[in-house]
Amino acid sequence: MNETDLIEKLKQSIINCDEEEAKKVAEEIVAAGIDPVKAVNEGISPAAKVVGEKFEKGDYFLTHLMLAGEAMKAASEILMSKLSEKEKERVSAERAGSVVLATVSGDIHDIGKNILGLLLSVNGFKVYDLGKDVDAMTIVQKAIETKADIIALSALMTTTMPAQKEVIDLLKAMGVRDKFVVLVGGGSTTREWAEEIGADGWAETAEEAVSLAKRLIEKKRGA
Amino acid sequence: MVPPWRINTVLERAETGPICTEKDFDLKILSPKLQEVIKEHDIKFNPEEIVPSDNSLADDVWEAGLELYLEVGTFCVSTHRRILFDESEIKEALKTSPTEIIVGSGRDARKMCHRQIEDSKPPFCLFSPDITCDEEIFVPMSMAYLQEPLADGVCAPILDTIEGVRIRAGSPFEVKASVAHAMMFREAARRVGRPGIFLQSVGTAESDVAQIAASNPEWGERLTDGRFVASIAELKTDYSLLNKMVHYHLYGCFVGSLHGPMYGGYCGGAEGTAVVGVAAHLQALMVNQAHYSNYFPIHFRYSFNTSRELLWLISVSYQAIARNTPFISLSNGFTSAGPGTPMVLYEAAAHGLVSVVSGGNLWEIAVAQNKHKNYATPVEARMACEVGHGVVKQGIKRSDANEIVKMILPKYEDKLTNPPLGKTFQECYDIKRVTPRKDYLELYDKIKKELMDIGVPFIY
Repeated sequence: MNETDLIEKLKQSIINCDEEEAKKVAEEIVAAGIDPVKAVNEGISPAAKVVGEKFEKGDYFLTHLMLAGEAMKAASEILMSKLSEKEKERVSAERAGSVVLATVSGDIHDIGKNILGLLLSVNGFKVYDLGKDVDAMTIVQKAIETKADIIALSALMTTTMPAQKEVIDLLKAMGVRDKFVVLVGGGSTTREWAEEIGADGWAETAEEAVSLAKRLIEKKRGA
Repeated sequence: MVPPWRINTVLERAETGPICTEKDFDLKILSPKLQEVIKEHDIKFNPEEIVPSDNSLADDVWEAGLELYLEVGTFCVSTHRRILFDESEIKEALKTSPTEIIVGSGRDARKMCHRQIEDSKPPFCLFSPDITCDEEIFVPMSMAYLQEPLADGVCAPILDTIEGVRIRAGSPFEVKASVAHAMMFREAARRVGRPGIFLQSVGTAESDVAQIAASNPEWGERLTDGRFVASIAELKTDYSLLNKMVHYHLYGCFVGSLHGPMYGGYCGGAEGTAVVGVAAHLQALMVNQAHYSNYFPIHFRYSFNTSRELLWLISVSYQAIARNTPFISLSNGFTSAGPGTPMVLYEAAAHGLVSVVSGGNLWEIAVAQNKHKNYATPVEARMACEVGHGVVKQGIKRSDANEIVKMILPKYEDKLTNPPLGKTFQECYDIKRVTPRKDYLELYDKIKKELMDIGVPFIY
């Protein structure tokens, strides 16, 4: 199989949410001596775009999104393992940005957060997903440690929304508020709430959050 | 016989069951088995038959849900273990589960029953705003719901501040707010002359500790009231939820199970959500050992359940439960539009109609995508419950309901993802007199007449 066919096969395996096939094809690409960066750019990235579009249109559900995400991650790891440190740095620099993502303290609902994490990943963001019921200090420390561009905070319940404010208050208290774009979202949150607590942005759906993240990062980098 | 049967068995299995990661539970255990049972039983959504009359479809959905639950069980997030049951245990629980309970007390006591498809028993109607409200309108808003003639039970609005302080889950303020909620709700019930009415509480309390704080037969949650143990989507629990389960049973109040499978989430589409809905009722029975369920399948992105797909899955899962179990289950509506709009009344009517003819009781109704503070009034719930009672009074069959709902849906389905927000409770009600404003009542009557003209049944 030639280079074009193998890369197309990789793309299709991800669109089909087939992790085993994606791993197998990634190994074949490495064995054939094909440029891993080209395989990522022409195989994985376009596949991610297709998966994201299918999800947005309602053709794919969350499980598809997660399975495609797993396939993408597995194939990327195989391809990236063959890159030199310098090449890895170059790929990393080409990322859309990095995001520390969490469902805030007291809240155990993570489906919305998981969807956002996957959509951010397929759109080129490096995502540090801290999980659910995460305390404010853990979130802030991770953002500082990873030099993240964005902190994205999810809360489904009205009584857990104040924990989003707690993260912002902590950033202010530690004198690092300006270093991060803070996005809030989740079932019970509103634009008014985001404004009230001093977040940089709010989005109703994960798709809107991705667009917002891109816009705010551009703005931040342009500032 | 009344649950609980075996609290320790559940708790022990949460500590000894097969171990797996949460991601593996979602993707490698739940998801493939769900796809397998949908295929095996050939379950297919038909957009033209929203209320199917085919009993075999209901039985297929039941079998699929049972097979799914037997294989995957309930995942305990706290211990990373699955709580599993065998078929004989589930059969025993189904056989011994009550088909009716008496809730509330004195002259306000009501019977809450398992219902059959096209049952002649009227639905138990629980009125609930399902939303947060300003602290100062908690009592009038509660009174507005409590004084509704068709309300057999009521759930209060949710506080997000207490004495002006924003409540945070797990904090001492949440404990304080939970107690205040219980006291004020009881006061509201007495003020409308229904001191013994069945109260479902405490929505203000998310944490286990705040829930437990409100249990008190004098001023708080009584033994004749109901409390909820939620589940985490899909088919999951954790120690905070199990703490509530143990406390409620030992306290002796009625235990409800709250489950809302997400359409578009791990369930996939309408077929998968219906099957998970059945499995979630089994979790309610086996893990929470609940006396009744609140069932609210919901669109994962827009938080409504009045679309064609959602109404279909509500119908088939209720039919499955009605035909094959003794469960008492309340169907919780979620509309896209907000109060004071024609659309919310169409959505409420559709939800009440489909739920009751399919075997559900009613829990009505979360409106405005369940996210806007003060956006709820009892008028929307009234619409759903008047229709629900009308279904019984007029002896509506599934085939009739199917034709009627297909006439209601075109009135709103193209606006579901871009709905009118409507008005707040304060804008729709005279708060001092606790009565709906004239313009909303006029709108109600107008929409009611329009719906009657296309065959929607009403009790009066």
